[in-house]
Order: sequence, then C-alpha cells, then structure tokens
Amino acid sequence: MEGETASDPIADGSPLVSRVRKLLFRRMLVGVKDGRFFLGSFHCIDKQGNIILQDAVEYRSIRRSPQSPMEQRCLGIILIPAACRSSCHVDCSINEQMSLLSII
Amino acid sequence: MEDRGGNDVPASIPSGEQMVWADVSPLLAAACNDLHDGELIHGENFNLFAAMSALEIMDPKMDSGMERNGFHSIEEAIESGAAPIPLSLDRTVDVQRCIDVMDHLLSCETTWHRGHSLAQTVFSCIYLLRIERTATHPLLHSYCRIMRSTCDVVITAVSDARTHEEEDFFTTAYSLPLKGDGDEKCLSLLNSVEETVSRQLRACKAQASRKKLCDDIGSLQTNPDLEEGYCRAVLCRLRFRKHFYHALVCMRKPKGRGLELAKKHVMSCLSELGSMSKSVEFLRSNAGGPSDGEIECRTTASGKQPFGFDANINSRLSAPTPPRAIQLLSWKQAIEFFEKLLNDLDAIFSLPLDLSLENILQFLVQFQKSQPDLVARAHLQLLLVQDGKLYGKYPFHVVISRALVLPEGTSDQAFQENEFVVQLGQLTINLIKILCTNNAWQRRKLGKILQDWGVISIQQLELAFRREFDETLKVSADEMLFTRLSKRLLVWAEEKTYWIASRFLLLGFQLELYSPKEYCMVYWYMYIIFVNLLEKMQMRASYPVDDSRRKGKKKRDIAKDVGLESGVCAMCMLLQCYIYISEGLTMMLAALHNERQNFKISSPFNSEHERFIQHFELLQRANVPPHISYHLFMESTTHVRISNVVKHNYFREVQRILASLRGSFAGDSNKLLELHQLEQVIEHNRIALSVIDQVGASDPSLEIRFEFQHHPFFPVAVVKRS
Repeated sequence: MEGETASDPIADGSPLVSRVRKLLFRRMLVGVKDGRFFLGSFHCIDKQGNIILQDAVEYRSIRRSPQSPMEQRCLGIILIPAACRSSCHVDCSINEQMSLLSII
Repeated sequence: MEDRGGNDVPASIPSGEQMVWADVSPLLAAACNDLHDGELIHGENFNLFAAMSALEIMDPKMDSGMERNGFHSIEEAIESGAAPIPLSLDRTVDVQRCIDVMDHLLSCETTWHRGHSLAQTVFSCIYLLRIERTATHPLLHSYCRIMRSTCDVVITAVSDARTHEEEDFFTTAYSLPLKGDGDEKCLSLLNSVEETVSRQLRACKAQASRKKLCDDIGSLQTNPDLEEGYCRAVLCRLRFRKHFYHALVCMRKPKGRGLELAKKHVMSCLSELGSMSKSVEFLRSNAGGPSDGEIECRTTASGKQPFGFDANINSRLSAPTPPRAIQLLSWKQAIEFFEKLLNDLDAIFSLPLDLSLENILQFLVQFQKSQPDLVARAHLQLLLVQDGKLYGKYPFHVVISRALVLPEGTSDQAFQENEFVVQLGQLTINLIKILCTNNAWQRRKLGKILQDWGVISIQQLELAFRREFDETLKVSADEMLFTRLSKRLLVWAEEKTYWIASRFLLLGFQLELYSPKEYCMVYWYMYIIFVNLLEKMQMRASYPVDDSRRKGKKKRDIAKDVGLESGVCAMCMLLQCYIYISEGLTMMLAALHNERQNFKISSPFNSEHERFIQHFELLQRANVPPHISYHLFMESTTHVRISNVVKHNYFREVQRILASLRGSFAGDSNKLLELHQLEQVIEHNRIALSVIDQVGASDPSLEIRFEFQHHPFFPVAVVKRS
C-alpha cells in the first residue's frame, strides 16, 4: 500500500517540487477559512494542494474580536483540503525566507 | 465566509527561536502545478493507510472544532446573554424559564442514558458548565448542583460494575466539570430551597382559603393566581431530584444496608414523577406555547425552548463522539424512561438477601426479563458482589457449602482452602456478574465460561477417581472424606454447567437468533441439556443431609432446609415439564420437517450441519454434554412421523405435572404465571397436532407457523387452512 502513487525523487525534474520536498517534516502553520490555524509537521501534499499535517495542534480564537486569546488542542494527523486553506507558512530562518520568496 | 487567514500569523503562535513564519502558499501553488496527476510529495515514512485515517478539516462529520455560527466559547455565550441570571427580570417569567431548564436537563439526562455523550447532552447546559455563576439564583443553583452530583454518582456506579463496554452508555466525562467544590453540600442546598418553596405553598393554600392576596415577600413569583401552581411544579421537580439522588446513594451502601431506605426513595421518586406529569397542563396554559400536536416532541413540559443551552458549545470536548447533531428525547419520553428505570430499581428490592445461590440465579433470570436499564443492572451487580463476597457479607465458599450439603466431618477450614472451592467461588462470582449484563453480551460470555466450568468438572472427576483408586490401597479417613466432598462438588459444578448451557440456549430466543427452520435442532439440544440438568439436580437433592450439622441448628433452620428441598423438588418438576415440551416440540418439528418440504433447511449458503455447528459450537467445545453430535440429532429425528408424535403425546404428561405444581408455587406470582403460560402452550400444540394429523401433514393447503405468543421460549403451532 505504501507509496503506490509516490513520485520518484531522483527522476523528478521540477525544481519547485524538490524545494517543496525539502520542506517535508518542517513545522507548518496552515490557516483555514473559518479563522482557525493548524500547526503540525508537513507530511504530504498532492497535486490539488490538499495538505496532510502530522501531530497537528488546532488554534482557535475564543471570541469573535480580532485580539481574542486562542485556545489549542491536539488533533494528531489531519488533512486540510486545498479549498478551505487560506494561508500557509513554514517555520524558517530569515535567510531561508529570502530564498523561498525569490522562487516565484 | 470571511477570509481571516491572509498573511497574518497570530502573535500567539510563535515561530522557532531566530526563525520566522515564511509564507509558502505561492511556492506550494507553483509546485502543485508541476506535479502530475495522482502524484504526491511526501517523505519516506509516508503510509497511505495511515494517511486515510487523517481527520479531515472542515468536514462537518469529522471536524468538531469547525466554526458554526454559534458561540466561540462558553464565556462569549454568557457575555452575549445566552444564559442570563436571573432568567428574566419578570419573576414569573423567571420561574417559568427555570422550570424549562429543569425539564430540558431531564431530557438531556435521559438522552445521555440512552447512548449520547455527556458533553452533548447534560453539559450542553451553560448554567451547568459555569455552576458558580448560578449561586445568586438558589433555585437554579440547587437544581444544577444535584444534577451534576447525580451524573457523577451514576458514572461511578456504572464504572465500578465494569460491564458497560458494550452498552450505549458514556462514562467518559473528559474535561467536563463533573465535580467541584461544594458538591457535597448539594443536598443541604436543595433541602433549604425545597423548604422555602413548600412553606410558600402552604402559605398560598392558607391565603387562598382566606381570599387574601399573596404576600410578595418570599414568594416564588409575582402573580398570586399562579403562585400555587408554580410552587407545585417546582417542588415536584426538586423532590424528584432529591429522592433519585438519595436512592442511588443508598443503594451503594455496603452489605445492602441502605436498601430499605432506597426503596422508600424510589417510591417517592415515582410519585414525584406523577406530579411532574400533572404539572404539564398548568405550565402549558401559562406558557402560551405551541399546540398539542407539536408538544409531544418538546423537551420541556411547557413546550417552550429553554434558555441557557447550546448543543455545540463544547462539541470539541465530546471526543468519543463525532460532532454531529443529536436528537434529544422529548420530556415525555424522559418521564417514561425514568419510570422504567425506577421500576427496574424497585425490582432489585425484592431480591431475597439469603445465601441460596439457586434463589439468586432465579432472581437474576426473572429480573432480566424486563430488559432493565444498565444503571439498574450495574446497581444489582454491585449489590450482589462486593469485595469478592456475596452482598459484601458472605464469602463464596460459604455460599457453595450451603448449596452442597457437606459430608459429615468436613472442617470449614479444609473446605475453604480446597483449591476447587476457591476456583468454583471465582467462577460463581463471574457467573453472577455476567448474569447482570445485557442479554447479547450475557449470552456470548455464558458460552465462553462454559469451558471454564467444563474444565473444572473434568479435573474434579479425575481427582475423585484417583482418590477412589487410592482408597483401595491406603485408606485414611481424611481422604475418604475428601473423595466424598469432591464428588459432591463435581455434581454441583456439573449442575451449574448445564444450567449455564440452558440459559445460553434460551437467551437465543430472546435475542431472536434462531430461525423457525432451526427450531427443531434447538429444541433437541435443549431437551438434552434439560435432561442432564435434571439428573444433576436430582443427584444433589438426594444427598443425605448431614445429621450432625443439623443437630447444632435450631428447629427453625431445619424447617428452612426442608423448605429448600421441597423447593428443589418443585424446580425439578418444572424442569421435567420443560423436558417433555422440548421433546414434544422436537418431535413435532422433526415430523413436519420430514413430511413437509417447507420445514426443510434449503439454503444455498449454509447446510443444516453447518447451522448446527454455528449454534452449538461453544457447547460442543466445552463438551456439554459429552458425545453429542449432529449425527445423533439426525438419527433421532429422521424417522419421526406425525402419527408417532400424536400417539406418544408428550404434552399430556405435562398437563398432569403442571396441575400438581400449582400448590408448590402458591404465592409466587411469576411462577404461577409461567405455569399458566405452559398450559396454554401445551393445549394449543395438542390441538394443532391432532388437526395436522387429521388433515394429513403433507396437505399443501395447510399453513403452519410457530409463534411465541404465550411463552417466551416455547412456541405454539398456528395451523390454518388456506
């Protein structure tokens, strides 16, 4: 079952894909459209942009106001469909951030 | 929905040290574009199977944290006025709404008992979630406190009984405020509120007779015309909670000491439930709620929506349940549920707190007939087995020795330390616990423990024989005694084994596990089990009662022993009836099977042999009884014809025994009812048999069905001509 649809890292030509592959296992913070954030380790992404995070934690404001404090809870492995994703960040050093930005 | 994500990362989610949050959305979008269809970017540890179990965010069936249009938190709900205290500034409306909260909580509690999580039911009440807030409202506060304590008591009892794994009952109260400071005072709080309201009710009555206006001080609300009605409605609700709590607490008192008191509380509870039902008319007329048709499904007596509840407010806490909406049971159903539960609890009070295991087993079977609720069953089990002793009082070796009639000269010490007695004691404890579980689980467990009992019997037998063999060589008095004791233990264990087997088979009818075409083999097996059981019962009853033990007893005790023996005798006779009826039914079914095509098993999937194995595998594996096989069944049923069955007339014999049994069971209404049922069964079947015989079993115009209209496990043949 494992890796049936996996791409072969060596044969893969796209530099963008290899850059994303380097982000695997990094801390990723995904915002979804109802205002929650999910922080977890980047586990997988497919062509449609659906992301799987491992050991994810949900952050959720406890009030409607923008400065509301957040509460969190652990969820484990989660799938965030591309359609409800509103932001996506990874944790990195400033240097790395520059190189990431220069890609596009 | 508003896009609030954007590039803003909330300050409360820190990045790593000397790290920043870098936006990778454009990179991801571009990389995804480069991917081929079906291609994934993943690490070496990726496992598609594990990935399938990922929780899908924003899927309403999986994502319990999903933003609904409700409140973000309990605090926000309170600030928005979802749970005001007081519930209204108008005191009349305040009382009305308070009663609605009480009623809705009762519906919630029932829904919880019937298989939903505590978080989605009772704890959907914002008042209950922040109980300290209600302190300024004594009526609401006292109700919420006792409600919470009751939930705690119920959870403790059910968890202690440890038989709820396969029940629809949630004992998990994960991160819910189920206990808190001051809960121990819940009763005194409630009592003082109850006292105030009942004083007010008395004042109302006095004033009504003097035609004076109600004094506003101390009144429940402001409208003097409604005061009495509201006082009554509130009082019965408070008292119901008080007595219910008391009843549950009393039932947990060690050694059954609180039973008498618990019974009184259960009776009071039932009468308060009656008063609650009566309050409906008054509450509805003042609520101006919906019409009668709609009111049936409402969760309050008044028919109004209660204040202070939000089903989604802690959906994130209800970890074991999917975050889907649940349907609460109506208030009317809640009242019915509690009536049933209280009646089940009441049935426990008729438990004879004596040492006779026979009586206890009979009681358990009778108790289970009404399919009692888990809470009642858990309490019964906790009462029966406390600290490994019967009722917390009698060690099980004492219970066994009572059942056995020990041979002369057996010392209590030796008996108690006998390894088989220890094992049998443990098996008996398990058996009692299993008999307190729900029917489906009970049947499966009984099937499994048969093997344990079977093993004991074999070991006993071997030991007894070895000792007997040794006797011829070297005889010591102790060993002789031990042999005699072993034999009696063996008979007792075998009797219990057959009893378990019979219960196992009979439960199959209650659970509707047998199809009409399989009845023949089931009754055949039942017949064999019953015959063996009767044999063991008679053997045990035939042991001479030890005179030396009797001498030490008072006369009253001797009378008791004699009573026990005649009881055993009556049970043997009833069992004899079962044997005849089972045999009669087996033969009747076999004849129909042989002479009519439609009673043959002709399934393309399972042959009759396979079905035989499926039904009786556990019995066969436990060797209960030994040397029983499908071929034996075939041999005894293949040549049966209706004419033989009519000639043999198995049912007539039963009639004779039943008539003589009436006297033995005088005063036992349950047994008398069963005798009546059995009479119906044999009468109908006798007539059906002769009709079939006259018309001819193979006549195609004859329609024969078997129905359990008179007895739970013996059917009557319904014969019709089309």
